[in-house]
Amino acid sequence: MIERIIVEGYRLFQKFELEPSDGLNIIVGGNEAGKSTLLEAIGLALTGRINGRWVEEVLNPYWFNQQQVTDYFSSLSTEAAASPPEILIELYLSSSDPDVQLLRGVHNSLKTDAPGVSLHIRPSDDYAVELAEYLADATRPNILPVEYYEVQWRDFADARLHRRPNGLGVAFIDSRTIRSTHGVDHNTREMLTNFMDAKERAAISVAHRGARQTISREALNGVNERIAAEGVALYDRTLGLQMDQSAAAGWEASIVPHVEEVPFAMAGQGQQAAIKVALALNRSATSTAYVLIEEPENHLSHTALTRLIDRIQSLAGGRQVFITTHSSYVLNRLGVDRLRLLHAGKASAFSDISAETVGYFRKLSGFDTLRLVLADKLVLVEGPSDEMLFERAFLDTHDKKPIDAGIDIVSMKGVSFARALELAAAIDHHKVAAIRDNDGKEPEHWRRPIAEYLADGKRDLFIGGPELGSTLEPQVVTANAADEAALRQALGITDESTSTEEWMHDHKTGAALRIADSPTSIVYPEYLVRAIEFVA
Amino acid sequence: MNRAVLAVAGSRKTQSIVNACANGPTNVRRLAVTYTTSGQAELERRLRSTCSPGAVPEVVGWYAFLMRHCIRPYLPLKYPGRHLRGLNFDGEPAGGRFATGARRFLDSDSRAYKLHLSKLAYDVVLVSEGAVIDRLTNIYDEIYIDEVQDLTGCDLRILEMLMNADGIDLHMVGDVRQSVFDTNPRDQNLRKYRGVKMLDWFNVHEKSGRLDVQHNAETWRSNQEIARFSDTIFPPKFTFQATVSKQAAVTGHDGVYALGAGDVEEYLATYRPQPLRPTIAVARKVELPFQNFGAVKGLTFERVLIYPTQPIMRFLTMGEPLADQAACGLYVAVTRAMHSVAFVVPDPSATRLRPWQRGL
Repeated sequence: MIERIIVEGYRLFQKFELEPSDGLNIIVGGNEAGKSTLLEAIGLALTGRINGRWVEEVLNPYWFNQQQVTDYFSSLSTEAAASPPEILIELYLSSSDPDVQLLRGVHNSLKTDAPGVSLHIRPSDDYAVELAEYLADATRPNILPVEYYEVQWRDFADARLHRRPNGLGVAFIDSRTIRSTHGVDHNTREMLTNFMDAKERAAISVAHRGARQTISREALNGVNERIAAEGVALYDRTLGLQMDQSAAAGWEASIVPHVEEVPFAMAGQGQQAAIKVALALNRSATSTAYVLIEEPENHLSHTALTRLIDRIQSLAGGRQVFITTHSSYVLNRLGVDRLRLLHAGKASAFSDISAETVGYFRKLSGFDTLRLVLADKLVLVEGPSDEMLFERAFLDTHDKKPIDAGIDIVSMKGVSFARALELAAAIDHHKVAAIRDNDGKEPEHWRRPIAEYLADGKRDLFIGGPELGSTLEPQVVTANAADEAALRQALGITDESTSTEEWMHDHKTGAALRIADSPTSIVYPEYLVRAIEFVA
Repeated sequence: MNRAVLAVAGSRKTQSIVNACANGPTNVRRLAVTYTTSGQAELERRLRSTCSPGAVPEVVGWYAFLMRHCIRPYLPLKYPGRHLRGLNFDGEPAGGRFATGARRFLDSDSRAYKLHLSKLAYDVVLVSEGAVIDRLTNIYDEIYIDEVQDLTGCDLRILEMLMNADGIDLHMVGDVRQSVFDTNPRDQNLRKYRGVKMLDWFNVHEKSGRLDVQHNAETWRSNQEIARFSDTIFPPKFTFQATVSKQAAVTGHDGVYALGAGDVEEYLATYRPQPLRPTIAVARKVELPFQNFGAVKGLTFERVLIYPTQPIMRFLTMGEPLADQAACGLYVAVTRAMHSVAFVVPDPSATRLRPWQRGL
């Protein structure tokens, strides 16, 4: 398995390190957090290729971390010129597989004894003069001249790699779907070809050539005779039609996978994704030790996704699987402890999460766990009334909506605060305010069981005192006791015979909606005000 | 169990490696190492024709083995920041024997001097604190070494470490009588086991229980008379077993002969022997398609014609013992022949051999 991944200077990663776990790794992160880039980097180091093409062929200046490139060019005009940016991707492996042990040595940036592979893109010594001339030219654009760079793909034993080493089989399942005439993309094609052994491939190739020969000899015969008879007038040598026997017409191009008689490219997008996953995972674990899956939820209906997730789980076996996803459902089902959050070019792991909590979210797979994980600032509330009231209170205080202040409000709708806070505690990079009713008990009663997940100034629980009311509605009434008429006006209560509290109790969501939409403001319960101060 | 098979010339030593690989269990990872490049090509060809496809062991030369598995993966542990970029076959470090540090072992292009390759490998093995051997144990189950007699000094130190490692079996075949190469002339390690004395090295490890040594004195190449003569080349103190020939073809001209220079033309025309000489310094003025002793190891000829040195001459006439290395060379030359060996000497009747004369 891959024990450690180091990526330096590649796209948005300046200095990135990840210690993935065995089995499933679910990679989440906001947009531009580097999820796909991470999979790309793993694929690059394992295969030396990107989208089926050799790194040297497709190397371009935009692969380099743009911040480092900018810093580099601005340093050139100063006394302390930096050295040119480089890209380094290292995969540290652990396996007693003899093929993998061949890759063992100390040639890595940590100078540690491990099997592994590294891809290093650096200025070539052969072009040192040209590079210096380029940099000395005042009219040069501030773009890295990658023509003077070289790609060194080596194992940790310092042997140059020319093809993917045995024992590092990888299947890459991207979410792009195929609509090309070629039928299948490179990754899928490779998976299909790997399905056959060398002898089968040779037999297919021979049979295919034979079939083309037969067409030339039989079907085209009549045509050729006619051409020969009339062709003398056209040209002084024999003309004829033959099937193309060149490499371009090889069987690989004319044999495409079919799904129940429908060509792969014509199959639904969801089906294509499902087939790719099945192809990757049905092979023996030794031929694909690593599986990279990009956003499996794309193009899939909910039921199709469920089937796909089940398949990923049951077939993963001894493989190490990296999945990027935007779907909380995928995350919950595969297990929140498998989560790898990418944030600001850094990764955090969640393996400390208790087995009960993992099981909890697996059952409640509809819960939007990812919002919990990805938010910068988070407010957890019990239900829609609390959410609306908080939003309005925030708007009244700060003159902008919480969302514009980077605050995500998640309505728990019965999901346990403790479980959510455990998850939030594991992430540890954002502020979390949990707001709940006291249900007639002292705040300490609710605080005690979750104390281990709370942290001063970072994660806190906000509860009103029980003497001020046991739920949100009586708390609002108590807070507005000084000017109850204004509250009743905001709520639009016309019936003088019902008390404010009674009315609010009967119209829970309606009441909150009216306050939220009211042209006038009310006084908010003290614990809500504290929560707003806390997260703002 | 580690095993060494010490066997006479023509006893099908290399074939025994091929058989072990072809008949052994298939789930075993094997590496076959041989000293000379010609030996490597020959071994590879025979393994390919005998082993089932997919079970053909990897074949490497000894230098490649040292570079690929001992030096390259762990070189930075000995010389930080250095990479191994190849082999400097003929070069010597600037500063000669007094060069120290990395410059003693690596040239300016980071190629290792062949001269000190074994020492460098041994240094890296030591500094890796067992990692080199552990890595090899994880990759291979069995390592076969052909022509083991060619390894000396630090090479033997590395073999000792492989013998001590659990999880890897070392299989060595060779014939100390054929140690015609002095591979590490500057190596001070284990000098006492140089040449024929390597026999003592095998004995030490057999006694320690780490090595099972088998001797094989049956030749399938030379006839009994040639075999008997080859046994006399080494003094009795080495206690080699008498060679037994399994080759009993009768051609009408079988055995060991001596002839004068004047009869060479006739002899060549009659029997078409392969002319051999110890080095190009011998029989300089003679225009024949010679091969040197050092280059014919592993080869078979029907008949050979040998131009001797002065020491060999004294051995043939007075029975004066040869120096170890000279004896090894002569042993290789004599044991190439299936039917006949002839020496070109000034006075055939002065030797202990059968004289051959024109018309006789």
